[in-house]
Amino acid sequence: MSRPAANQSTPLITSVCYVRHAVSEPQACARFVSDIFGLQQVAGHDDELAFRSDDRFRTVSLSRDQRDGTSIGIEVWDDAALQVIGERLRAQDFAVRPGSPDECRRRYVQSALLADDGSGNRIDLVTRPTRSGRRYFPPRDAGIVQFQGVGLRSTDHVRDLTFWRLLGAEVTDWVGDIAYLSIDHLHHRIALYPSRRNGLLYAAFEVEALDQIMQNSYFMQDNQERIVQGPGRQSASHQVFLHVEGPDGLILSYVNGMAEIGDKPRPARQFPLNATSLCNWGSESKDVPELGAPASSNRSNA
Amino acid sequence: MIQLKDVSYVRLGSPDLEQAEHFATACLGLQVAGRGGKALYLRSDERAHTLCYSEGDPRDQTVGFEVEDEASLQDAAATLESLGHPVHAGTAQEAEQRKVKAFIGFRDPTGNHIELVVRAERSGRRYFASRDAGITGFSHIGLNSTDPARDERFWTQVCNARVSDRIGEIPLMRVNAIHHTIALVRAPQSGIQHINHQVDSNDDVLRSYYFLNERRVPIVFGPGRHPTSGARFLYFKGPDGMIFEYSVGVDEVEDEATHRPRQFGFEPTSFCMWGSKPAGMTLPNK
Repeated sequence: MSRPAANQSTPLITSVCYVRHAVSEPQACARFVSDIFGLQQVAGHDDELAFRSDDRFRTVSLSRDQRDGTSIGIEVWDDAALQVIGERLRAQDFAVRPGSPDECRRRYVQSALLADDGSGNRIDLVTRPTRSGRRYFPPRDAGIVQFQGVGLRSTDHVRDLTFWRLLGAEVTDWVGDIAYLSIDHLHHRIALYPSRRNGLLYAAFEVEALDQIMQNSYFMQDNQERIVQGPGRQSASHQVFLHVEGPDGLILSYVNGMAEIGDKPRPARQFPLNATSLCNWGSESKDVPELGAPASSNRSNA
Repeated sequence: MIQLKDVSYVRLGSPDLEQAEHFATACLGLQVAGRGGKALYLRSDERAHTLCYSEGDPRDQTVGFEVEDEASLQDAAATLESLGHPVHAGTAQEAEQRKVKAFIGFRDPTGNHIELVVRAERSGRRYFASRDAGITGFSHIGLNSTDPARDERFWTQVCNARVSDRIGEIPLMRVNAIHHTIALVRAPQSGIQHINHQVDSNDDVLRSYYFLNERRVPIVFGPGRHPTSGARFLYFKGPDGMIFEYSVGVDEVEDEATHRPRQFGFEPTSFCMWGSKPAGMTLPNK
């Protein structure tokens, strides 16, 4: 079945709407996510700990369930779009199955296709993710505006790109083989980082301004939390970032100032995989290989 | 009243001009305008020079302010002398060394060397930086004061400075629309507490932070943001212990007639709203 003609101009997917993450110590991690990072903890289903970052009902959840507790939620325009996506993914031999009513309930969505990308990252394609009528009320003044997007580890970036392109995402720029993927007016919502393993690399939350990036940077230093990179600024997207690592290697990021892609189509630009492309201020990744450049290509020869 | 138009230059003594030049070009990013007579002239904007190192005692520190014309200079000299400040009329040779038409020298109540100058030279060639620090120009100084209330009276009553904001008893004073050109800093002796250059963007402040860190230049405060002027800043230490500042986004006072100085408490958040803390740099003592 093809999509109804009236929907031809609408995108298949519209947002990255949640991150579900499995950790060994959800309570310790929850302390980091709320008290340190600044998300609002709210009641969760079953054993899941849930958090808000904006007017969405949930954007982060933590559980011990390594099998079904990890996935990235991608909001799909409607059920017709969901069907198109299902057909496209199956035609290219991606694993896709409809979410059961219980799985949809746990994800606070109306309907879902549960898919695996080429690396085995679980991607939930969902419709009507729940919104909240109450405004977001954070536990501390971190200046979080909204959940913005994710960085994903990719073990098979050719196949993963095929996956995301089938959903309508476009590569806006490359840094080496790191691909920035756009699904709306922003430079990217999803970034694929070549890696030896799959999984979430970071979940990024937009803050109001540079002020909050810097305030959070000093807050982390004062609290002896681990900043794995930043404050820094991506050369391709102009986005200012601060990557902070919590328990179990969970990296949450504050971001601000991402470029919009504009109306004129342009080919994806290639940046070399070096420190300057990843951060034009000069920050370097500490022990997160995906965020860093090989040691041989440093700033001085950029 | 002595009408100061703008800050014009800083002159610093240094026992090691070679080291001063290395820092000024490789770290700070100024342009060498010339070397001569045991002096090093540096540019930061359209002016022929804004910083001069001369071979000598690093305690020899002078700040120059521009006044309108030679008549104003004569009036200023008379005013200062009537108040008991001995005035030195600059010789032609001294004026040439300063790249100005004429000047007078005196000491403020704390004992800081101040010069008033007329017709400071501009350069026909645009400023071309020695490194890409994004400097747009020399902008203000922090000036030591042994008695901030007394010195505030001097700068605002004998001269035309106006207080834009205060942190504790420390006044940030303007002589034009820019939030401050003179920041008084309580100290046991006279001297220049810091020298500010404006840069083009936030990016320049943060880039310089990483750049100077890598070169092991001591960062003494920042990157941060002053809640008073709104400027994003970075303070770091140069030769002879002199502190230099990069900043961007200093507010302008929009309505001269209605602006009232705001009072900020004497506490760390009044100096930095981001949470940076000074290290190796004394904030004005209460």
